[in-house]
Amino acid sequence: MKFKKPLLFIAALVASFLIASALTTVSKPSNYSESYPAVVCPPTLNGLTSQISISSRKTQYQRLENRSSKTLPFNVLRFPVSKDSLVITAEGTTPLIWQSRAGSWAGGTLCSGPSAAAWFVGGTANVTTRGRLMLINSGLSDAIVDIQSFTENAKQPIKSVNLKSKSYMQLSIDSLAPGDKALAVQVIPRSGRVNAYMIDEQGAGLKALGGDFVNSYPTAAKELVIPAIPNQLPKKGQTASTSHTLRILTPGDVNTTFTLEVLSADGSFVPVGLSSQSIEAGVVTEFSLAPKISASAFAVRITSAEPVVASISSSVTIGGHKDFVWSTATPPLTPMSIAVTGLSPLIAFAGDAIAVKVQAKLINGKTVTTVVKGSDIATWRVPANARSITILATSKEVFAGALIASSNGYGFIPIQNGSALTRVEIPNSNIRVLNP
Amino acid sequence: MAVTDRHLVTAIVVTHDGETWLPAVVAALASQTRPADQIMAVDTASNDSSTKLIKAARIPLIAADRDCGFGDAVALAVAKMPKHIEGNSEWIWLIHDDCAPAPTALEKLLEAIDDRPQVAMVGPKLLGWHDRTHILEAGISIAGNGARWTGLEANEYDQGQHDGIHDVLSVSTAGALIRRDIFEELGGFDSNLSLFRDDIDFGWRARVAGHAVIATTSAVAHHAQASASERRSIDVNGAFLHRPLLLDRRNAAYVLLANSSWWMIPWLSIQLLASAMARSIGYLLAKLPGYAADELLAVATLIVKPAEIVKARKFRKTKRLVSARVISSYIPPRWSQIRLSAARVAETIRERVIPAAESTPGSAPNSLEDEDLLVPNQRFHISKLMKNPAIFGYLLLAIITLAQSRNRLGALNGGALAASPSGARDLWGLYFESWHQVGMGSSHASPAWIAVVALASTLLLGKTPLLITLFFLVAPLLMMWSAHTFLRKLSSNQFITIPASFLYALCPVALASLNSGRLATLIALIIAPQIPMVLSSWKQVELNSWRRIYGLSILLAVLTSFTLITTVVSLGVIGFAIVSDYDEKLEKPQFLARLYKRLTLLIFPFLLVAPYSFEALVRPARALAEPGLNLAGGPSALVLLGNPGGAGSLPWWSISPILLLLIIALFSSSHARIFAQVGISFLCVAVIFSSISITVHGNSSGTSTWVGTLLVGTTLASVAAGVVILDRLRTVLISSNIHYRHILAGLLLIITAIYSISSIGWSITAGADSPVQSNTKQVMPAFLTAEADTKTLVLREVGSEDSKSIQYYISRGEDISLGEPDVAPGQVREIEIAAQELIDGSGIGSSQVFSAYGIKYVFVKNPFNRNVIRTIDGLGGFARTSATSAGVVWRVTGVTGRIIFTTKDGTRSVLEAGEVGARTTVSGPGSITLTETFDRSWQILQNGYRLDRAKDEHSLPQFQVKEAGEISLLHDGTIRRAWLSLQLIAWTLAIILAAPAGRRKREISEKELA
Repeated sequence: MKFKKPLLFIAALVASFLIASALTTVSKPSNYSESYPAVVCPPTLNGLTSQISISSRKTQYQRLENRSSKTLPFNVLRFPVSKDSLVITAEGTTPLIWQSRAGSWAGGTLCSGPSAAAWFVGGTANVTTRGRLMLINSGLSDAIVDIQSFTENAKQPIKSVNLKSKSYMQLSIDSLAPGDKALAVQVIPRSGRVNAYMIDEQGAGLKALGGDFVNSYPTAAKELVIPAIPNQLPKKGQTASTSHTLRILTPGDVNTTFTLEVLSADGSFVPVGLSSQSIEAGVVTEFSLAPKISASAFAVRITSAEPVVASISSSVTIGGHKDFVWSTATPPLTPMSIAVTGLSPLIAFAGDAIAVKVQAKLINGKTVTTVVKGSDIATWRVPANARSITILATSKEVFAGALIASSNGYGFIPIQNGSALTRVEIPNSNIRVLNP
Repeated sequence: MAVTDRHLVTAIVVTHDGETWLPAVVAALASQTRPADQIMAVDTASNDSSTKLIKAARIPLIAADRDCGFGDAVALAVAKMPKHIEGNSEWIWLIHDDCAPAPTALEKLLEAIDDRPQVAMVGPKLLGWHDRTHILEAGISIAGNGARWTGLEANEYDQGQHDGIHDVLSVSTAGALIRRDIFEELGGFDSNLSLFRDDIDFGWRARVAGHAVIATTSAVAHHAQASASERRSIDVNGAFLHRPLLLDRRNAAYVLLANSSWWMIPWLSIQLLASAMARSIGYLLAKLPGYAADELLAVATLIVKPAEIVKARKFRKTKRLVSARVISSYIPPRWSQIRLSAARVAETIRERVIPAAESTPGSAPNSLEDEDLLVPNQRFHISKLMKNPAIFGYLLLAIITLAQSRNRLGALNGGALAASPSGARDLWGLYFESWHQVGMGSSHASPAWIAVVALASTLLLGKTPLLITLFFLVAPLLMMWSAHTFLRKLSSNQFITIPASFLYALCPVALASLNSGRLATLIALIIAPQIPMVLSSWKQVELNSWRRIYGLSILLAVLTSFTLITTVVSLGVIGFAIVSDYDEKLEKPQFLARLYKRLTLLIFPFLLVAPYSFEALVRPARALAEPGLNLAGGPSALVLLGNPGGAGSLPWWSISPILLLLIIALFSSSHARIFAQVGISFLCVAVIFSSISITVHGNSSGTSTWVGTLLVGTTLASVAAGVVILDRLRTVLISSNIHYRHILAGLLLIITAIYSISSIGWSITAGADSPVQSNTKQVMPAFLTAEADTKTLVLREVGSEDSKSIQYYISRGEDISLGEPDVAPGQVREIEIAAQELIDGSGIGSSQVFSAYGIKYVFVKNPFNRNVIRTIDGLGGFARTSATSAGVVWRVTGVTGRIIFTTKDGTRSVLEAGEVGARTTVSGPGSITLTETFDRSWQILQNGYRLDRAKDEHSLPQFQVKEAGEISLLHDGTIRRAWLSLQLIAWTLAIILAAPAGRRKREISEKELA
């Protein structure tokens, strides 16, 4: 054949290309190491009792001030803590801590990993307060933390504190802005592995006025959803229902307007006076909120022209004494798992189209799976004997919070991942880094 | 003719196998205007008809032994002469059998001495025998290194420029007139100088005896220099092996040592030895080992017989009347010797570069024709110049190169190119050192390209950054020139070869190599076109001379020094050729002749770059690596189109016509088909190799192989095929009706034009912002470079905005420089894990690991993920020391440094450390840990003894100290030095074998001598 040789060469070229294509492995530019960072639970302050819900008895923990790297298993599913802050290797299931002062208040929060920044919208610095801001450094190096406070009067000077390694400190929140009533605090760790928690406890003289954890939200945003706000319906003979107060702040330099929309089983609406309401930049503003709602919980969606932080304080009565609950904004729901042993929270899902597949793992090892559907708001009560709940799947832009009632008080817990899977790139050794 | 003067002249003719010249000599003697009063001849048993000729001329003949020297022969004749009468002006006129005096020679000689009674010896101007305008001598002297000094340039044309009577140290015995009484008084010629230099010795002795020696140029003689030019064998006593050079050098040394002052002898001995060695090297380079041996033997034969010198000196002392210093003015100054040598070298180079134009018969008269003179001179027009495709092409390429290099006008780095060190000394240091302070340290052999760049930098006064900048600027022009020298062998049409060469310089490989700092590929692009030019026939390789084979071996060795992929290619090509030879069933001698030459081309370049090449045998990935940083090449789909891909390469849409040309050429009936087959073969290998990942040069992650070097072969073959096709296509297209050839040619031209426009457009716009740029930025902040040789773990996010990755390496306080990536070690596994845990926050023990390996600081270069910075803050063992715009620095807690001393009770302290070695003191027994990679060459000496060396738990070298005292740490570089010595020998041998061979004087034809 005249063109045998040329065709052979072309065939060889095609074969080479096919071989090369087969040989080429899909090379990842980088490899990643995935892990759940250890979470930190707040310490138990004087007079309080704490219990941590864990999903597995084998979950390892370490007391914060323990210098050794050795960890111990809990061996129980609900662990009472007398004082220390605990560092827990939770491996994906976020532990939950429930604290209470007997006959006064109760509240809960998630044990979480270190955060870049945290907004606490709640608490007061006036004479009634007994609140505390707790700063925990679970790292092996010293930490520096900046605290920026805002009140109804003005933005306060930044306060910097140093934290020794493996230690915590508690600051009276009245020291942040003495005498001011409405407080919003931003905690910004400059260095170190820092967690922050806030307890707002109030009393007038010897009379306890209740208390709660003020849960944190990482950043100011133009749209916030506070998904679970308790709404105690008036008992027979009572006319007044639960009172709510919206505390809001735009931390930037520009004044803004916001609109608050109530999402409830009765429908969604904008309460009078909370549509395009203007607020001054850098000043904490409070608005009373008293929606007529027939359900025991509702949610609010706040939209603003400028980023804002907000939370809602709700007064409740439980066991004959008064308490209050700080409901805070939560991030959109994602698949996650939270330990709830010993608690039976009411979980409220808020969103335009709610479709959440949730699974409860019971103490006996069995699982119960439910699909929660609805619009605006849907609630689901966690079985009493559940050790953990897992969000298996969720529709977009759904927000969730949990409301827990106990004999001592009422609390709100954001449904979010306290120990998010961290995807860290595995670094490569390459001399190229030394070439400009 | 009657003799009117008062002198009595006896001409003494000494003959020794001189029949060639003797008739002319006898005739010259007979035709003297002032004939000699007496003529005598001494024959030293000539084997030819010399005796017959003398007898036929009726000259009295004295017979002497064949080994009788010139001086002895003259002495025999003088002895036979009538006794000298006191007061007579009696002269002996020495005539060699190859020296014909001009008719007026004797007359003029006598005229010169008439009013110069102090003259003992007078000589004529010696002109060439064949070329009678070539002045050989007009007086002679001797240089300090023994060289015969005439003060004339090589082949100097006699225009009377040296005419006159000159006071000289001596004159040649050829045609010399010597006063008989002084001759006898001084004892005649030294019998130890049977031939050569007897004239200088006699003149020297005459001078120190208070006499004068002059050369008169009005007297002329023509000298064939038969003995010196090896036209006849040397049989004199002591001239063993018939080696005139040996005798000449020995006698030169003898003259100097016997006549000079005592205090000059040590200095002269050194000069003689040094110059003998230098000349030996020169003769070795010219592949004249016999002459080289002569030079050394000449000095050796004198050294073994010192008594001869002592005796000669004693004899001279008895005849000395004036200080030996009178001679100094006749010894040529060193400056004159250097100037003359330089002029000779310059002339040799000039002759090679601009050979003298052969005058063609008739050309001169034509130019002088009246018609030409009447034609007015055409004026110079720039437009005319631009119509020359070569000038236009080079100029256009220069403009494009300048435009695309506008960000490269300074010290370059980026891409695969590391920053240049400030001077060539650093590069030489990197090449010669056995230990490299890179990362955790390595004893890898430095690649030979470092020596090549260092040598080039040295020639540029040590300015390495300038060299690199200039190289990147002129590389495209060099590529074009190199390609054009090859392509013009394929076609004489400059309108084809110049655009083809231009496109070769702007091919995808060239642009990608320039933009990403690929030194090896750039060198390959320049050298590759020269390879087929050096090797005239590859199929019948035995037809190439060995010299050509070694020349090509050197060319390949230079290429191999930059990239060992050359060896891989050679292995494939030569292996294929050997199999083909075997299949041809050649005769055994022919097969072996081919085999030896092919294997030489494979093995010799590989040996020349040893030991780097040997290390590649155990680390094969090196064979595919380029100098510098290990950057990824492109995907195989891009490679298939002739584009190597990777950083700085042409975008995919700028498709070159390389593949299309090769495919078209495959179906050609011309030898473009051969080029196409070669090109496709290179392309196949390149495509397959592009799918392979390699881990080299301090990069722990695999990167796809850069196949630019292989694509050079593809590109060159494609361009060559294109030239061959186009060269004959034009006539075919003109003479034929429109058919598929017209369509293909049109398609090819369109694609080529589109490629040209797109590639030029891209290279001068986006391409100018490629990775390689002049850059004065630094990675390491100044405060970290202040601490000498401190290890710092540097973390950086590297890569483009959308594909950043975290990378790290250990710095020794400075950024890396050229050559260092090639010797960079891989990372220690323990450090890898510690660095990983540092990033993910789980590294509670990372600081201990870093401390154990001597890493003192962790530096995170900005910009960097803030969360990671916070994570490091949270880890124990790292104390933040600074946070600036450059980045964040932590100090690793704990005692750490380069040399750590641990006492028996476990107390650690850091000892003072030098650059590589160190000298310091230990306070007592304990152990010394050197935080460098373990290597058998690490040694610590204390009180003259080596301390026991072992590996500690981190595999670092640890030495046990038994007592307090001073210690010396060193890295023994004996093996490296041995390799370098072998490499030097191998290169010298290669250069000698490839250099043009010198010829022995007897091999030079009479015509050339003339």
